[in-house]
Amino acid sequence: MVRSETKVVTPESLLPLAPATFQILLTLVDGECHGYAIMKEVAERTEGKVRLGAGTLYGALKRLLESGLVEEGGERADQELDDERRRYYRLTKFGLRVARAEARRLEAMVRAARRKKLIGPEPA
Amino acid sequence: MSSLMTSGADSPRPNARSRAEKIYRLLLHAYPSSFRADYGRDMTQLFRDQWREGSRNALHFWCTIAWDVAQSAPHLRLEAWRGRVQANTPTMGVIMKIISILTVLLGLFTALSAVGEVAAGSQQGALGTAYLLAIVLGAVAGGLLLTAGVAALRDTPSGRRTASRCAIASLVAFLVARLVFGWMSIFAQLVGIVLPIAIIVMLYRRRRAPEVA
Repeated sequence: MVRSETKVVTPESLLPLAPATFQILLTLVDGECHGYAIMKEVAERTEGKVRLGAGTLYGALKRLLESGLVEEGGERADQELDDERRRYYRLTKFGLRVARAEARRLEAMVRAARRKKLIGPEPA
Repeated sequence: MSSLMTSGADSPRPNARSRAEKIYRLLLHAYPSSFRADYGRDMTQLFRDQWREGSRNALHFWCTIAWDVAQSAPHLRLEAWRGRVQANTPTMGVIMKIISILTVLLGLFTALSAVGEVAAGSQQGALGTAYLLAIVLGAVAGGLLLTAGVAALRDTPSGRRTASRCAIASLVAFLVARLVFGWMSIFAQLVGIVLPIAIIVMLYRRRRAPEVA
């Protein structure tokens, strides 16, 4: 017998996100990107502290596609790089909600750390 | 391999890149075939980009690549395996049905043959206490096995609970019968011991496996 269960997925139910996943979502907030552009932006933003390898990056993208946070935006060449066709990825509306929810969660944690004087006050 | 020690755009030999790419393609075999089919081309493209970007230390470059494969491939293989297990859940249902039907038939056969033994033994007046007890226990085990099979066929949570309880009780009854009366055919032992265990294992697996909508 096959039983169907409808599970409601809210952005909060997917939190906390893995650091690499949040970095990918954060990159895609600005618009669609291909894999190499995501990898480069993450490395630049984190000053080289987070370096996504191909396996980690595409593994995370596969999961994000499956959970509907990211969608494919077609294939085209990146004029700045070469004439090779590249697959582009973009954030879905649900993906944006999840990224916002994770940002809020992290913000709340930082606020708590400030209250405890673990870190200095917010710069003006 | 020495040519692979000079990576990046400064590489004096253009063949080095294609050789490195070949090695990377071999490394990609660590990933599940479905993942490779979906992302293998993109990953090789990314590898080419990284190669073009260049690294002063080729050993560091290859260590980073190998570390990434070692970190991500087992996780993706595990995910692919879980996906296959979930996809096979309907097959488990079919196996469960076959075992249940087999249990019903063999339970019925065991119970009837025990009754037949009693009838034949009483006509000859050759029924010892141990033998009679073993036959009664055998009949009880057969009846319980029959009930387990019928309950398992219903495939509902309460049916599965009843089936596993009856299978356990049948196994216990049969083992006691085996202790009381030493001689027993291999077929009877297979039916009495293996079948309840098989049904218990199948019910346990069915309970653990997620049901796919």
